[in-house]
Amino acid sequence: MKRDPLKPKGGFYYYMQSTSGIVGAILLLFMVIVSLCAVFGWLPHDPLEQNVEFAMQGPSSNFWFGTDEFGRDIFSRSLDGMRRSLTVSVSAVSIAATIGVTLGILSGYLGRWFDQLIVRLSDVIFAFPAILLALAIVSTLGNSWYQTSLAIAVVYTPIFIRVARGPVLTVKEMDYVKVTRILGFSSLRILRKHILPNVTAPIVVQVALSLSWAILTESGLSFLGLGTQPPNASLGLMVSEAQSIAAFAWWALFFPSAFITIVVVGLNLVGDGLRDALDPARRSS
Amino acid sequence: MSLNIVNVEKRYLNRASGTTINALNGVSIKVEVGQTLGIVGESGCGKSTLARAVVGLEVPSAGSITWDGKVIDNKAKDRLKSHHSQVQLVFQDPYSSLNPRQQIENSIAEAIEVHGLVAKDKITDRVTELLVMVGLDPDLRNRYPHQLSGGQRQRVCIARALSAEPKLLVLDEPVSALDVSVRAEVMNLLIDLRKNLGLTYIFISHDLAMIRYISDVIAVMYLGKIVEFGTWEEIIENPVHPYTKALIAAMPDHSIIGDPTMLARTLEGEVPDPVNLPSGCSFHSRCALAVPSCSIIAPTLREISNGHLVACSEV
Amino acid sequence: MSNPLLSVSGLGISTVQDPRTLVNSVSFEIMPGEAVGVVGESGSGKTLTALSILGLLPRGVAIAGGSIIFNGTDLTKADPETMRNLRGSDISMVYQDPMTALNPVMKLGRQLLEVIESHEKLDDGSVARVEAALREVGIPQVERAMESYPHEFSGGMRQRVMIAMALLLSPKLLIADEPTTALDVTIQQQILALVSEQRRKRDMSMLWITHDLGVVANLVDRLIVMYAGNIVEAGTVQEIFTNPQHPYTHGLLSSLPSRTDKSRKRLTSIPGVPQKPWLVGNTCGFAPRCFKVTAECTASAPKLVGSLEKSVACFHPMGDK
Repeated sequence: MKRDPLKPKGGFYYYMQSTSGIVGAILLLFMVIVSLCAVFGWLPHDPLEQNVEFAMQGPSSNFWFGTDEFGRDIFSRSLDGMRRSLTVSVSAVSIAATIGVTLGILSGYLGRWFDQLIVRLSDVIFAFPAILLALAIVSTLGNSWYQTSLAIAVVYTPIFIRVARGPVLTVKEMDYVKVTRILGFSSLRILRKHILPNVTAPIVVQVALSLSWAILTESGLSFLGLGTQPPNASLGLMVSEAQSIAAFAWWALFFPSAFITIVVVGLNLVGDGLRDALDPARRSS
Repeated sequence: MSLNIVNVEKRYLNRASGTTINALNGVSIKVEVGQTLGIVGESGCGKSTLARAVVGLEVPSAGSITWDGKVIDNKAKDRLKSHHSQVQLVFQDPYSSLNPRQQIENSIAEAIEVHGLVAKDKITDRVTELLVMVGLDPDLRNRYPHQLSGGQRQRVCIARALSAEPKLLVLDEPVSALDVSVRAEVMNLLIDLRKNLGLTYIFISHDLAMIRYISDVIAVMYLGKIVEFGTWEEIIENPVHPYTKALIAAMPDHSIIGDPTMLARTLEGEVPDPVNLPSGCSFHSRCALAVPSCSIIAPTLREISNGHLVACSEV
Repeated sequence: MSNPLLSVSGLGISTVQDPRTLVNSVSFEIMPGEAVGVVGESGSGKTLTALSILGLLPRGVAIAGGSIIFNGTDLTKADPETMRNLRGSDISMVYQDPMTALNPVMKLGRQLLEVIESHEKLDDGSVARVEAALREVGIPQVERAMESYPHEFSGGMRQRVMIAMALLLSPKLLIADEPTTALDVTIQQQILALVSEQRRKRDMSMLWITHDLGVVANLVDRLIVMYAGNIVEAGTVQEIFTNPQHPYTHGLLSSLPSRTDKSRKRLTSIPGVPQKPWLVGNTCGFAPRCFKVTAECTASAPKLVGSLEKSVACFHPMGDK
């Protein structure tokens, strides 16, 4: 069988056409490797080990990112903090996306009272400033990593409801969906084959963006003393702790902040790349 | 076998303003198998609403639509399904009526698969057959809709409708969105398919020239009602209702050239708001023949010659 | 013979980045008081040609060559200020979509006054002038209309308002880009009658763009047929309709269902789809669909030759009937 020159290429091909996508993927890959090092304990120092002897030292061959006021190795702590930040945000976004997208699609497709109920509920959650709501939940639930994840998930669920519901409302009015009804297809098939594939692009992009926000939220919570608790390390907590000594030890503030920036920028770029790759209209050019 | 539309009414309630839009105000028509009914009218005359009601996308507020004696009713799920496979719709816009993420082959094969219309291992052959039937190269099967031209897409839509093995095809402005030089080909295709497959058509258009070309009988609609009905020759050559006359006179015509009198105003005013229907005959506000009683008594369709019906008291 | 009001010669339009030809060396003239129709399908370059006259080409598209001489001024070299002064006063335009061409949050009277204001000082007579313009295009209850917003009007009425706006400063040339395509046929008829009447009364030149041959048959004096970015045929309406020379024009005319043919014989169709202008290169753009095609047609591009009454760009014209 001869090959059709216009035979569609996979999504990966189109993703690799996007510069921001490639840069984002490289940044992200780097951060994931860093976190994996922490998971497997491949760290030059114990991130919790205090050693007053080496307190407040600048970057050196022994302490690549320097040490803090307790003599802890900032490189090891940054890696461990990255692991913790990613764990919290990935689990938070997974929960929020699963629940939010399901509710959003059903809400948009079913309409009527169910839609009303879901929209009102998410409006209520939306009405609170995100960090304030997360704060309230964490202070009620407690502040272990899964409780923090849950709090962030609650805050982000309405975003996914909204992101999924809007396109469903548009797509279900498209002629190609009406045709499937005339052809006598079941609702499940219509949802799965004709609506879901046409609303995934904004959802996938939202996942990438939400991950970066979740990292910032987790950092914010830790910064305020409600996320990760000392002596454990998280990027936000490290920035918070470094504040008081930043004037004498810039490295204590700089490196964790740089890690946050890299991962947030990386995720945003990945989001851009995905948006380009998933849009068939952009592909055609 | 025939399609029977009896006294169909359709009203939409606008919740925001609390008003009711009267889209269809009592339409009765019978389409015999093998016949092509052309429905012509301007925007808001209800022709598209009627098309949607025939395929079951809209539930009439009153009246009934039956195909082969079976009532089309949303509650009777099985009936709806069997009705659905026999009556299919081709939309106007070939750009929005194909799933952008579905390859052509899957678009056409899906209904065959779902309803088990041919054996699993024969589906590919059936898709090839359908593609050839609508004049497309079977090698296009792996393409996505955006890789096709408007005419090719409309052919895919026709093939998809045919995949369900329908008896009645409702064509809602099927060539209006296509380039002028491509329209003739699609029209010829529709005429060939009608002959080869023994299909019954409802052809809906605002373009009287196309309606004239393909229809056996023509219904002229105005504000949710049929104002005139008859064979195509009767309607075109011997129109009786003042609205039909105006419509024919307003038809852009390339056979009469350089005659500015062709641009004489034939019809003043605009179509009234379907929220507040005029009393009596809905056309009286624009009609040159109107007499006082026209604004009181709504005329019903009456036969003026064999098979030629008109709803007007003054002709 | 008088000088042409508008003289377009060798006009080329292409995309700015990764240049793709959209309109290829188009030349035509419009005499004072003359109405010219441009017929073509989507992508033929008819709308871009019109927009380039007004200097209103969309972003990323620019004039690549040639000249547009209006009343002695080359518009391709005119500065933005000159163009702004020209638009609305000497050349005005009516668009396809009357729904989006009016500002939805501004009263109609105000929008029309603004047109005057942008070219001259408002005075006591300005309101009366606007009212007279609205009355002339058949708007009922003009005083009330002045205080209304666009959404209170139907599509046909809005298009009338657009025409009133375009005629307000008595332009020498009116460019109309498919202004009746979005309208119903009986309303289209009303608008065509209105425009035709106003044009004769004002002895105004007009460039009417459309894809519908039926619309221009009784509206314009001369026709230009565009295909894939080129003019393939031009001439008087009489010549084009009764004796088309280019196989495309011929095919297009015979593909339209006749109003009188009782037998309803099979429509003559043109196989294939319109060519993209940038793929035409130095060939005849219609060659891939043409039944008269020879090697010559793909070896070089035919030139538009003939007179003002009749010219064709084809190596194998249909020949006289």
